[in-house]
Amino acid sequence: MRTKKLSVLILILAVMAMITVYEGLVVAEDDIVGGGEIIYTKPLKSVLFSHKSHAAMGLDCNACHDKIFQMAALSAQDKADFNMKGLYDKKYCGSCHAKDGMAFASDTQCARCHIGTKGFNSAPKEAKK
Amino acid sequence: MILNKIKIEGLKKEDPGIIPAMERRAFLKMGLLITGVFAGGSVLSATSIVEKAFASSGEFAEKYPYKPHYSMVIHQDRCIDCELCMTACVKTNNVPTYGYRTRVFERDDQKATERKREFIPVLCNQCNNPPCVLGCPTKATYKNPTNGIVMMESKKCIGCKTCMAACPYNARYFNEETSAVDKCDFCFNSRLSKGEKLTACAEACPAKCRVFGDLSDSGSEVYQAVHNLEKTVWVLRPDAGAKPNVFYMKG
Amino acid sequence: MAEDVTKTADVAVMPGGWAGVRGGVLQALQGSKGYYAALIISGLLLLAAVAAGLHAKYIGTMYAYGASREVPWGILISTYVFFVVTSTGLCLVSAIGHVFGVKDFMPIAKRAIFLSIMTIMAGFFVIAFEIENPFRMAIYNVISPNLTSNIWWMGTLYGAYMFFMAIEFTFLVLNKPKIATIIGFMGVVAGVAAHSNLGAVFGMLHGREFWYGPYMPIYFIASAMMSGAATIIFFTWLAYKANGQKMDAAMKRALEVTTKVGILLISVILFFTAWKFITGFVGGEAKTAALDMLLTGSYAFNFWVLEVAVGMVIPLALFILSKGQNLKLIVTASALMIFGIFFMRYDLVIVGQLVPVYYELGVNEYTQMLSYTPSAHEILIVMGGIGFVGLTFLLGEKIFNGHKSEIH
Repeated sequence: MRTKKLSVLILILAVMAMITVYEGLVVAEDDIVGGGEIIYTKPLKSVLFSHKSHAAMGLDCNACHDKIFQMAALSAQDKADFNMKGLYDKKYCGSCHAKDGMAFASDTQCARCHIGTKGFNSAPKEAKK
Repeated sequence: MILNKIKIEGLKKEDPGIIPAMERRAFLKMGLLITGVFAGGSVLSATSIVEKAFASSGEFAEKYPYKPHYSMVIHQDRCIDCELCMTACVKTNNVPTYGYRTRVFERDDQKATERKREFIPVLCNQCNNPPCVLGCPTKATYKNPTNGIVMMESKKCIGCKTCMAACPYNARYFNEETSAVDKCDFCFNSRLSKGEKLTACAEACPAKCRVFGDLSDSGSEVYQAVHNLEKTVWVLRPDAGAKPNVFYMKG
Repeated sequence: MAEDVTKTADVAVMPGGWAGVRGGVLQALQGSKGYYAALIISGLLLLAAVAAGLHAKYIGTMYAYGASREVPWGILISTYVFFVVTSTGLCLVSAIGHVFGVKDFMPIAKRAIFLSIMTIMAGFFVIAFEIENPFRMAIYNVISPNLTSNIWWMGTLYGAYMFFMAIEFTFLVLNKPKIATIIGFMGVVAGVAAHSNLGAVFGMLHGREFWYGPYMPIYFIASAMMSGAATIIFFTWLAYKANGQKMDAAMKRALEVTTKVGILLISVILFFTAWKFITGFVGGEAKTAALDMLLTGSYAFNFWVLEVAVGMVIPLALFILSKGQNLKLIVTASALMIFGIFFMRYDLVIVGQLVPVYYELGVNEYTQMLSYTPSAHEILIVMGGIGFVGLTFLLGEKIFNGHKSEIH
């Protein structure tokens, strides 16, 4: 009887440990959250996109990938319509950042995303892919 | 004041024009004071800018002494520090790497709501009461009598650097190649005198942040911006008394 | 001309006028070892300065000097200010005796005039290396003058001043004191006008909070007299040492009254300085930032120790203690003053520029004060200016026979 109880206890502990480890791994991944900080340098230097701050608002990967942005980082900046006009046409960031959209309109608060040449120069190396 | 009688070359005294209702001005001034002061410059209503900016103090000037009266309005909230203006300026005017004619500053305010950073482009303000022109011993720098641009005649520059010390806007630097002080001339030598209508920086800006035009033309964008009582317009360092010709606004 | 009859012991009596000068030149060739050592060192400093200045022009002053876009005026400008302020002060102190006839001040007058010429030339020497295009200056200051420019007026008036002082000195050597007095008066007028314009160069820059205001031109004149008093006391003592002579009663009396002038003026300058700071603290941020740098910041040592203690308070105490009689105390005080005043000029010129013009805009680029360090080239040129004064002073003592006046 005692041995059986012990085995069940060990089994439960093992499962708990596995769950903890699994959660731990997932949580660690959440810190990086997708592509991390992305800095676009085309057509202008430079625009910051922060995965962390967008995920923190409850957006999951499917919210943008793949309909609005491809998974591959910086692939948008090679497109000809990746500019403010494109955003005003509700493409890319403009899907949410529009007048009456989910977030502040893209023709307001410019320097909130546009970190400029100075922002680019002072960004950590990892962000400048 | 005696100084008002001293002739600064190129600076003409304009006729006092029609003055709008004193009561309306006073009311507006009061309203703007209540609305608040913006960091980086005192709030000036459009009418008081014109009063303070031009040579005849205390009177609203309908006429400006220069034709065209070149001026620039900078929409500070639109600047994104792409620095294409700086690149264009350097290329157009052969500015050496150790100097600059125009520059973009960065200002953070962690207490601000929403957006916490702004960029401020600066350049020579082509002042109406320029301390550099006042102090130059050889008239190497002077106000162009036609358009009011503060010009450099490099051959006369002795390199005493008084103008550099005098300028409240750090607009000047010493160019080793020409052995003279250099500064923004609104691209007069490189563009305006050759038929172009805009300065290199105004043309290069993708955000329409720099608006360049003729302040004596009531139809021009600069005139409309500066004389719009609905908008807050300011200048940098009004305390220096230089009466600048570059105006800043938001929106 | 009449023979020089003095009661000074151990001196070969020399005739006045050109004969005296010729004799003096011969005397210069018979100096002591110490005299020649000092002469050679001064000469070497001068040569080193010329070499440094020419080299700086060759490699580009941007690289050779510590000055920059934001701090365009460095130690060369402050040293120029130091020399011309001293020169004007010497002129004013000599004028008390020679131009305004106060007899007690007469014995120091001739040497003071000579030194006023030499110090202004030293000032021009130093600034010649600072001005990027001195040859353009010679042309365009004349054909394209800007009458609203304080720099133009200062340069032109100092040129006139130097001319008048040189003529005045010549007439004194030629023993024509009446004409010398008239020229001397013109020199004083030109000197005061030039000097207040130099103050106005700083005081009329509305964009520079630390300098702006009516204070600068006024302060410069008072400060000049303070410098002049200290300089003439020190160099008079040095001259008697160099010539191996004893001072007579008249000269001792002259130093006593000059000490009194020194006491008065140090008190005036201390008063000025105190109020400049007190009133400055209701000024804008830029003004208070500059004052803070001097009181508690990176220039606090310069201000409290060099300017206030060494330059003014200790000399004041020594002057008072000396009662105008104790030569050791008086000369020590004067030497300390000269040293401290050099830094007064330096702090004035430099600190006025270390506050960025955009400081109040609050941008990230200008949250701190700027900085300036003199380069080796600049320091060598400064030493050359000092060498120039040393060289001309030493030669002048011999050539002009200790600047003895025939008529008292």
